Amino acid sequence: MRIDYNIEDKFDFGLLIPVLILFGLGLLAIYSSTINNTLAQDNFQRQLAWGVLSIIIFFIVYSLPTKVFKTVAIPSYFLSIVMLILVLVIGRQISGSKSWIMLGSLGFQPSEFAKIATILAVSWYLSRNNTDIDSFKDILVSLAIGLLPLMLILLEPDMGTSIVFIGVILTIVFWKGISSFSLFVVLSPTFIAVSAIFGLAYFIVGLAIIIAFLIIFKRDLFFSASIFALNLASGFFADYLFNALGPHQQKRIQAFIDPMSDPLGSGYNTIQAKVAIGSGGLAGKGFLEGHQTQLQFIPEQWTDFAFCVIGEEFGFIGSLVVLTMFLILFLRILKIAFSTKDEFLSLVVIGILSVYFIHFLINMGMVVGILPVVGIPLPFISYGGSSLVVNMLMLGIVENIYRTRKNYT
Amino acid sequence: MKTEFFGSLKRRAVIYFIITVSVTVLGFRLFQMQIVNRQEYETKSSDNSVKSLELNPLRGLFYDRNMNLLVSNSPAYTLRITPADYDTSLNQLIETVIDAESGFIKNFLYKNRVYSKYLPLRLKRGIDFKVVSWIEENSENLPGIDYVLEMYRNYPAGVNASHSFGYTKEITAEQLANNKEYYKQGDFVGYNGIEKNYEDILRGKKGYEYVLVDSRRRELGKFKGGTDDLLPINGQSVVLTFDTETQLAAEKEFKDKRGALVAMDPSTGEIIAFVSAPEYDLNKFSFITPKDFISALYNDPAKPLFNRATMSINSPGSTFKMLAAIAALDLGLITPSYTINCTGGFTYGRFFKCHGSHGSVNVIRAIEKSCNTFFYKLIYKIGLDRWKEYALKFGFGKKTNVDISEEIPGLIPDENYYIKRYGDNWPKSIMASLGIGQGEVSVTPLQLAQYTALIANNGNSVQPHFVRAYLDPNTNKLIPLEFKSINTEINKSVFDIVKEGMFLVVNGKGTATHIKIEDIEIAGKTGTAQNPHGKDHAWFVAFAPFDNPKIAIAVLVENVGFGGTHAAPIAKRIIETYLRGLNQKENKQIDSDSKFAVKN
Repeated sequence: MRIDYNIEDKFDFGLLIPVLILFGLGLLAIYSSTINNTLAQDNFQRQLAWGVLSIIIFFIVYSLPTKVFKTVAIPSYFLSIVMLILVLVIGRQISGSKSWIMLGSLGFQPSEFAKIATILAVSWYLSRNNTDIDSFKDILVSLAIGLLPLMLILLEPDMGTSIVFIGVILTIVFWKGISSFSLFVVLSPTFIAVSAIFGLAYFIVGLAIIIAFLIIFKRDLFFSASIFALNLASGFFADYLFNALGPHQQKRIQAFIDPMSDPLGSGYNTIQAKVAIGSGGLAGKGFLEGHQTQLQFIPEQWTDFAFCVIGEEFGFIGSLVVLTMFLILFLRILKIAFSTKDEFLSLVVIGILSVYFIHFLINMGMVVGILPVVGIPLPFISYGGSSLVVNMLMLGIVENIYRTRKNYT
Repeated sequence: MKTEFFGSLKRRAVIYFIITVSVTVLGFRLFQMQIVNRQEYETKSSDNSVKSLELNPLRGLFYDRNMNLLVSNSPAYTLRITPADYDTSLNQLIETVIDAESGFIKNFLYKNRVYSKYLPLRLKRGIDFKVVSWIEENSENLPGIDYVLEMYRNYPAGVNASHSFGYTKEITAEQLANNKEYYKQGDFVGYNGIEKNYEDILRGKKGYEYVLVDSRRRELGKFKGGTDDLLPINGQSVVLTFDTETQLAAEKEFKDKRGALVAMDPSTGEIIAFVSAPEYDLNKFSFITPKDFISALYNDPAKPLFNRATMSINSPGSTFKMLAAIAALDLGLITPSYTINCTGGFTYGRFFKCHGSHGSVNVIRAIEKSCNTFFYKLIYKIGLDRWKEYALKFGFGKKTNVDISEEIPGLIPDENYYIKRYGDNWPKSIMASLGIGQGEVSVTPLQLAQYTALIANNGNSVQPHFVRAYLDPNTNKLIPLEFKSINTEINKSVFDIVKEGMFLVVNGKGTATHIKIEDIEIAGKTGTAQNPHGKDHAWFVAFAPFDNPKIAIAVLVENVGFGGTHAAPIAKRIIETYLRGLNQKENKQIDSDSKFAVKN
């Protein structure tokens, strides 16, 4: 056995370094936003401790034999399902969602671990021999694997994390090679669901677009009609679901459409977040100098709105650093996903990429006011132990796969 | 049917595209927010975190002509409700504590629903200190309830003068909409009278204190160490022309009467005393005025809110006879030797009655005896339009421009007026009544006082006014206010003749001899305003001392009949009060100025 001394061949610094920079910026943001908050003052130390723990986990996962991931795929999936059910029974409710399991004074969110477990399970299913991604059965099973935890998480209720699951499953199925027609069949109900929430007019226009696509694809009449029926059902179901949403979630969607409609309520966070970021200017107001941050205009700014601290105190330069680090990270992972020849591992890597990217997109879109307020954290930056540990664990998996990428043909 | 293997180049390109486009869009968005629109967000950011607290100036005080304090400010606690935070289940509790009737708060909130619910509303002023400590102790359980220490008006000299002082009241939503740049919801502004007319002088200038606040509007400390703070500038105090003792005496005279009294210094136009009766209690306006109190005032048949001295119009009756006399003498139509024979009346189309047969009367005797026949005839000599010309010279038929805003001009009819009313062939017999101050002619008590002042001072005076000067807050010096002088351009000899007649009214064989006093020579004229709705109103106009008039006065007492009986004694007592007070002061002055001064 030849010992390879070329460390870069075994370890991709393009993954770890951007993440460490993002984590560092996150620590500064957490420090700045909690220094004047007596209730959250120890969040900085906690995040630091979680950071150390998660780096250890990263290296452990990195050094595991790669075949372990396939072995644990199904057991970890069922374990996470059990935990998701458990959290609904014994979970602790924090800010409207029952998503925490408490172990003594430490709490963790099963939904975070369910993400990686689901990625492993779907990838495992789709990488078996003789799967046909365009077969009705395989699509249905892959979707079902993803939809089960999604439903449980919706019950908490945690809409943000549920959206992540949809994105992850779609990305994996896409990467697997789904045909454009099948993708259309899978995507269209989501599209219709969203348009139904916007109102009747949008719903009707959406249905018209679906019919247009069905005509273009020229499938047999019965099949097309079934798909149309499915879409119709999806629209009504979404409308029903929207009405079943908690009032605070409904208000958030309405406030996104017009934040000024409720400036002291749901639209408040969006307005304050934009003011914080916008007032940062080119170079920012300086560390610990942001008015919006220091005077706590955004509640719990160290969690989902942590980017505002960076935007306000470090300005556009700080924002660009964050965007660049994420861009480097995403493209590195995409490269690894592409260069990994093992189908299961490639699907896992793309699944992990989708988790990071969807979190990034929804969170950033929210804080700059181009997407509705959906409570999900910004990876590596927002305060939160479970999220950090799972994100680093997933990074460990990617790094592990990079290490062994040449072992497969 | 599978056409593409997993992870094809095309799929990688799609994902690559999505990632780069998303990051680029976010980058552009951040560029737009942080570079392009930075200014806008920065302004919002400082608006957010810096709160300006208004520092209210003290409202200016009122002094009388001798620098006695008439209107001042006293501190009192005000209970406030912020509707957005308030829990209406507390209604009953709060109502019990502040001793209000049940439903008071519900009503109050409904009535004030036009105001911002995030700002505190004054529920009650002048709350007991016990209530204050109760709120302090239970503040945790009283969301949206607080109290502040505020200044309210008080009246230490006991002078009520409701119609001249006016009162202060919380600004209405409508006024607020018109004056957004200075006023805020909950500010007090002057209503009526001097408080309203001198609002700009009295209110002072608000100060501002800038504090840093957090998202819950909790104050964290001074902004920029307080260097941007602005201290309030207190309102300027005003020195009124009132003489407190005279004003108090006048108010006392009208305790149980309806009517008005205006006393002026003839040479300066300064209003010494001013009463419109019934009055209303200004002290009650200093606190949150209960709705019932206001509506009771509005619905009171005696109309206490109505300023009779400047707003009530009545025919002046015989007090107007001097006007015709002056016009005729000044125009050279008559001389003092001109006489007519009064046989108890005058016929012009119909018979006009005199209240006696005065025989041969000249102008002086006609005033003394108030002979109607003389003036019936005289008005035809003068002619309607010339008569009106003289009425205008004395300030009738137009506003006096006194420095309180509630005033009406009254009416002096002329040819046009009658042509409009009766056509070109209007009956000239109507004119006869005008000569004796009856008929369509209508005047306010203030106009009649001004007229008396002009007669007393031989046709020269100054626009009537309440405020003499204001106090410069920096130098504590009095800054006198200028008022327009009035000059009738009528020969002094004309006034001498008319004044002699007025002298004889009191001191000869006239209609008010019962008010004659030994040491003060009063000249006056009685009058009766015919009242179609009930008993006639009594007028009396007078000035004194005769040689060197210091006070001119007009008194109106409603629904009592003949002026000599009811109005004249009031005028006498007010004149006495004022002149005796004046003498005392002068004597003091002489005593202290020079012990060698010889009394003559």
